[in-house]
Amino acid sequence: MPPATSAPNGFGAEATQIIVCSQLWADLRFNLVVQDMNIPAARPGWLQIVLIGRRPAATLVRIVVLVALCLVTFKFVLLPIRVEGISMEPTYHDRRVDCINRLAYWRYEPQRGDVVAIRFSDPGRFSTPRAMLLKRIIGLPGESVAFHDGHAYINGQLLDEPYLKFSCDWEHEPIQCGPDQYYFVGDNRSMPFDLHMQGRAERGRIIGKVLR
Amino acid sequence: MVLGKIAKLAATATIGPGDGAITRATKVSTLIGLFSTDAVISYDIAGLGARSLNGRDEIRESAAGGFASVKSLSVRFQDATAQVGADQQSAVVSCTVRVSAGDSQDFGIQELRVQFQKRDGDWRITRVETVKTLQ
Repeated sequence: MPPATSAPNGFGAEATQIIVCSQLWADLRFNLVVQDMNIPAARPGWLQIVLIGRRPAATLVRIVVLVALCLVTFKFVLLPIRVEGISMEPTYHDRRVDCINRLAYWRYEPQRGDVVAIRFSDPGRFSTPRAMLLKRIIGLPGESVAFHDGHAYINGQLLDEPYLKFSCDWEHEPIQCGPDQYYFVGDNRSMPFDLHMQGRAERGRIIGKVLR
Repeated sequence: MVLGKIAKLAATATIGPGDGAITRATKVSTLIGLFSTDAVISYDIAGLGARSLNGRDEIRESAAGGFASVKSLSVRFQDATAQVGADQQSAVVSCTVRVSAGDSQDFGIQELRVQFQKRDGDWRITRVETVKTLQ
């Protein structure tokens, strides 16, 4: 005796189900068409097009990607800063806005003459410090830095510094940099030596290089 | 908890231009309450030289004099990180303090190390010292 669920055409229950499903889809398509015919197509207004585009979902995805890209870029790659103070005059003026390239020393070591951002206290490896020092590197690890008659001497050799514009009368005995230390100083050397924040700091304190 | 004390220290040390003598005196008392009786403030700032304040009385005198001599004072602690000792009774906070007085746009910025100890169940500042960022 044949099974009760067999179809008369011999294809069995599976074939029947497929037919039913096809009918369901046909109904669905029919209903959609009916709805489209009854309701006039809602065309997005110009304001909607301007604000969220013709496809809001795609616009939302673009916004999310853009925001994520900006967050990563301006937190881990280019750090926006505002210069405050006069110690880097006339190269960097007070209230000038710039960026620090945090990846500048990813493959290369800091060089003499580079203007860099130096961290004060360490807020953690991935945290972004809110306050930084902006100084120029004049002494590299192992070198000695001295000032005589307003000029910097590295290992006893006069350092050519074309970026200095103000007169200077600094006098200071040689200071020896350690194997991991750099010597930092600002460009405004018209300030008294004691009032100008300068000196040695470890490589790990350097956050990055000023973009321009 | 310790960072909360640092935030309270900043809020207490900040004076608005409208704060009168009573408010300032109250703030001095509140400020002193954050320190232990044997607290030491040791600082070495360019232009001011090295100096230290020992005990609450000296800190109170300096705070009262400082509060009275400025129209307004803004104190902000930035990038603060706390390390609590293994015994949970001591902690060290490293931070950067930014101070500006009056309406002037000039400000002072200094790296600080603040030591705390738990005394009578409450965190008290036992030592504040400046750190030379560039040696």
